[in-house]
Amino acid sequence: MPRIAFSALLLVAGIASAQSHAKDTEWPTYAGDLAGSKYKPLDQINAANFNRLEVAWRFKTDNIGNRPEFKLEGTPLMINGVLYATAGSRRAVIALDAATGELIWVHGEREGPRGAAAPRQLSGRGLAYWSDGKEERILYVTPGYRLVALNAKNGQPIAGFGKNGSVDLKLDDDQTIKPDLVTGEIGLQSAPVVAKDEIIVGAAFREGMTPKTMANNKGYVRAFDVRTGKRLWIFHTIPLKGEVGYDTWLDGSAERTGNTGLWTQVTVDEKEGLAYLPIETPTGDYYGGHRPGDNLYGESLVCVDLQTGKRKWHYQLVHHPLWDMDISSAPLLMDIKVDGKPVKAVAQPTKQGFLYVFDRITGKPVWPIDEKPVEKGTVPGEWYAATQPVPSRPPAYSRNGVTPDVLIDFTPTLRDQALTLVSKYKTGPVFTPPVASSVGGPLATLTLGTASGGTNWPGASFDPETHIVYAYACNSCVTPIGLIPTPSPEISDMRYVLGTAGQEFRIARGPGEGAGADSPSPGRTQAPAPAAGGGGGPLNVQGLPLIKPPYGTISAIDLDKGQILWQIAHGDTPDVVRNHPSLKGLTIPRTGQSGYNVGTLITKTLLIAGDGQVTTTPDHPRGAMLRAYDKGTGKEVGAVWMPAPVSGAPMTYMADGKQYIVVAISGGVYSGEYVAFSLPSTE
Amino acid sequence: MTPFSSGAGSQPAYHRLAVVVAVFAAALFAVGLCAQEATRSVWEGVYTEEQAARGKSSYLRQCAGCHGELMSGGEMAPPLVGGEFLANWNGLTVGDLFDRIRTSMPLNSPGKLSRDVNADVTAYILQFNGFPASRSELDRRSEVLKQIRLESNRPEPKVPPNWRRRRAT
Repeated sequence: MPRIAFSALLLVAGIASAQSHAKDTEWPTYAGDLAGSKYKPLDQINAANFNRLEVAWRFKTDNIGNRPEFKLEGTPLMINGVLYATAGSRRAVIALDAATGELIWVHGEREGPRGAAAPRQLSGRGLAYWSDGKEERILYVTPGYRLVALNAKNGQPIAGFGKNGSVDLKLDDDQTIKPDLVTGEIGLQSAPVVAKDEIIVGAAFREGMTPKTMANNKGYVRAFDVRTGKRLWIFHTIPLKGEVGYDTWLDGSAERTGNTGLWTQVTVDEKEGLAYLPIETPTGDYYGGHRPGDNLYGESLVCVDLQTGKRKWHYQLVHHPLWDMDISSAPLLMDIKVDGKPVKAVAQPTKQGFLYVFDRITGKPVWPIDEKPVEKGTVPGEWYAATQPVPSRPPAYSRNGVTPDVLIDFTPTLRDQALTLVSKYKTGPVFTPPVASSVGGPLATLTLGTASGGTNWPGASFDPETHIVYAYACNSCVTPIGLIPTPSPEISDMRYVLGTAGQEFRIARGPGEGAGADSPSPGRTQAPAPAAGGGGGPLNVQGLPLIKPPYGTISAIDLDKGQILWQIAHGDTPDVVRNHPSLKGLTIPRTGQSGYNVGTLITKTLLIAGDGQVTTTPDHPRGAMLRAYDKGTGKEVGAVWMPAPVSGAPMTYMADGKQYIVVAISGGVYSGEYVAFSLPSTE
Repeated sequence: MTPFSSGAGSQPAYHRLAVVVAVFAAALFAVGLCAQEATRSVWEGVYTEEQAARGKSSYLRQCAGCHGELMSGGEMAPPLVGGEFLANWNGLTVGDLFDRIRTSMPLNSPGKLSRDVNADVTAYILQFNGFPASRSELDRRSEVLKQIRLESNRPEPKVPPNWRRRRAT
């Protein structure tokens, strides 16, 4: 494989001052710890001074790769005064001075055609750190799906790890990656996790709306020795014959079906020796006619033994998945107290707005999760689960169905227009099945809390002292799901793919595809374009969101009681709503904003989250705000201006006696940048 | 202890200078953005129906795979219609949107579409967002498009000061 690695060390070891970082508070994993909390009990930055925060430093990522990136999603790590992050369309690793942002070293891998063909390109979400007290290593996964180990001190690959510092993740995977190692579809954009000297790595694929084949590659989970890169175990997310769950795939579909990867963050209980794996949808996202059965471990939370990868327990959140709910973020490992009894719990936030809570040792639900009968659909050849699990507690923290009561209702006219628009679609509560699209209607099933709803990859946070979960959710992210017979076998061998009747068909792609520094790629065959016609119009009403506010929320959920303590709209009212002529004279409370890109950070007293959209208001010029809320009440206590919306989850640390908050921003006209905030030194 | 972390206190003058330079550069950049005054509004009719129709055909081939045929966004691609989209561009110019598309899209081969095709696609996006068409086509030159304000809502009709005074009395 033609590839070139480059590392550049920009600071000579001898000139750095040898300082003690004893008082530093580090951020050593993607979520701040292995439990997924995104919590640090720091209080230098607090309600009294948040408004006085200044930009301490910024790091523009444009030149890390051959093109700027507008989708910087990383959350950095901070260890021993050094900040590590993935960055740029190259997905290089950068090491920065945590106090000044000065570049210490950079390491990138030029993967050529393999990088160009990768399903998940761009900068990725982050990396992992390991140390045995002497040696320090940085681990990350390249767009071309290779696990790379670097010396944290200088960015050089570790010669003794894998082959010259990297492990080819397309090999030794209990399957032959099709069609070949260069173009074979499999990758990963999330951060690997390191626990007890092993690295856990998942797998991701292209967007699964219009898969080319039902027999896609499979997304197994593996662990590797952090010292040597040797494979330690593998977990088959689609069971092999003889393994538990194989019988949930009828007609031999376990052999045939692919995807079912793990593309988000893993959490680990090192003390109990358990790892928690959130598994995604099998092939394809919205049509499951080629995979009859419940399809374990699709959309299941799986607990495995950290040392062996053997399944301890699992819980399938969605049987026979048809809505692309996946499991999109890190499971939260919390020690709670229910009815006076301590419970070692795991809480799983989701796109569908349910927080599923289990005893993390036994897998038993903490509060009953009832199997509820659900509607069977009518798409030819589809197999439908008769029931779906619905948690009795806590209540859903974001909307997960399109029903008349969630439609825009600022004025009777707007509401009537919304009802007219919606009448062309099938609607209903959570688990309303997709439809075959028809020109006369329904065009699609309108859904909330599916592909992009609720809590997505930035995940939720929790406070281990108060046992409160804080979850951002998109409360208005509508996804139309309509299916059409596959127009030609070159496009897909599946009977149905996502599409709208009467519209020109096209393969649905994601922006992580063909987008990285190794592109342009040859791309896939597109159907020749017939004349377009039919279909629906935009899913809005006079330019206003079809769904009523709050568009995006943050919820505080008490896990001792399974209750929502408070819920607030997060983010300024969008300009289009605030300035809309039809809404003149109406008093509209802050609506919050839609979007999936918002993560939460918890400190001693604050809940910190940035706006996911840009606004221009009487209070601030065009920009987005990083906000602080009193974590006890949800009351906003401060906000600082940023030139672009947040595009990754924020993190915090102490370096040399100073607290910093670092967040990735990008979007629209603004390319990727890490921004660090701290209090001015004059104080 | 690590030999590679230089403490914040080790070179305070240097660090302060770096911040000053960065702020100054950002200010210059901002001035540069505003240098050309946007004299027209996207509400005045800045493209033609024919251009938008051409743009639709290109959009469906080049853009809809990620952004959706209804511009509602994909699993991960942002929407190109409605508040979430307009939030990114309200207060900027059509030239800013045009240049963003022209230089970074389509993601798998940025810059492969000609200025003319990019202008057509931009026209279609404007049409889909409800901005009115008119008799002149959207220009292919960024500097001309930077004179057109992107405003998510129709601006208040400008009332001549004399008239307003007369009304008030």
